[in-house]
Amino acid sequence: MIKAPSLRGLLLAGGRSTRMGRDKASMILCGNGQTQAANALRLLEGSCVRVFLSLREGQEKPEGCGSVEILRDVVSCGGPLAGILTAMRYDPGAAWLVLACDLPFVDASLVSLLLAGRDDSPFTGFASAVDGLPEPLCAIYEPSALPLLEEHVARGHVCPRHIMAEEGAHLLKLPAAARHALENINAPRDLEMMTRFSDPGTASSEPTGETPGREIRLGWFGFLAEQHGCREEMFVTPAGTVGELFAELTARDGTDGLTSGVLFAVNDEFAPPDHPLKAGDKVVFMPPFSGG
Amino acid sequence: MNADFSISQHPLDITPLSEALFSPDCGGFVYFEGRVRNHHAGRTVTALRYEAYRELAEKEGMRIVAEISRKHRVRAAAVHAVGDLHPGDLAVWVGAAAAHREAAFAACRELIDAIKDRVPVWKHETYADGKSSWIAGCDHAGAAGNQDHP
Repeated sequence: MIKAPSLRGLLLAGGRSTRMGRDKASMILCGNGQTQAANALRLLEGSCVRVFLSLREGQEKPEGCGSVEILRDVVSCGGPLAGILTAMRYDPGAAWLVLACDLPFVDASLVSLLLAGRDDSPFTGFASAVDGLPEPLCAIYEPSALPLLEEHVARGHVCPRHIMAEEGAHLLKLPAAARHALENINAPRDLEMMTRFSDPGTASSEPTGETPGREIRLGWFGFLAEQHGCREEMFVTPAGTVGELFAELTARDGTDGLTSGVLFAVNDEFAPPDHPLKAGDKVVFMPPFSGG
Repeated sequence: MNADFSISQHPLDITPLSEALFSPDCGGFVYFEGRVRNHHAGRTVTALRYEAYRELAEKEGMRIVAEISRKHRVRAAAVHAVGDLHPGDLAVWVGAAAAHREAAFAACRELIDAIKDRVPVWKHETYADGKSSWIAGCDHAGAAGNQDHP
């Protein structure tokens, strides 16, 4: 291949960590006693000429980040794409290795695989072990990705996973040993689950062949259907309960705070937020009723 | 004691429902009709659409009718319309027949309140100015879902 553009590293730490209840970047998840942000920055520094930390406007720097250069979101589209676009506009001639701060199991060998897989596609990333879709938050964004991202944002598309899928990203297969490496941690329960996955002492107790995602049939009514643009959809989720699933979906769709008073049904019966999910369940989201 | 509740496409035919409630031991029969109003929160309503989560709505409606029938020792039934309705159209009907009028009045009142509160049905209003809005929750103007659409 022709000479590749030089690589910048971008650590995304601008998420609100609302489900975790504390800043994910400042958590200490690895045995070395360093915060998640510190470990991820060191990982990026191993491959990139310059490394930047992506934060929201006004957000405090997570613990353990030292004197890293900071890029604050100048794009208002929200979500991880705001941080990615900010960085790409800052240096449009560079390729960006983007990494989210909530992926504690990404290591140097996985980053090497990603770098080796680079070709002339605008995006290079891994295919999700759960649904085969691109994993946008441990991926390389080449300079040719910038106009594509701008175009999608102008049309209101802000989900980098869907943009990568639509633009034919070059996708690599996750090695078997790192099958769970791109599962992020969004809720304390995930953290507990990841800890079990990473502990060789208990890993064997996991049923073999089990994927952490469950396929769920979703249904929406009233203004929720309008907000989501559909009444039914199939969705694969790592969520363990109906409430977690709803939090995941409102975060995905950017509808947090617009959805108070929503009730849940599982398999055509009312269900509380802590109702456990199993594969094949039908989950329906209901706004407050207005019959009569 | 019978328990009958259904979600039915507009227009509703309530004749068989009310006839099924008549019984020689019932001296009192009370029914309530909820009809489409031509105004809401100061705006002129020109049309209205009801949608329901039918599987759950019918299950919950049957439970309500059974509970209230048992509690007041009445024969009761109810039906809620879905589809496109206009001012004056019948949206919901509840009826209760009992030996004496007190129980029939009380049961009828509780039935309509419980149906509005517990049955998954949603109202979408269209106004004279061409705008429309989902109504989320009863009588809570300005609730999260009441967002105008041009």
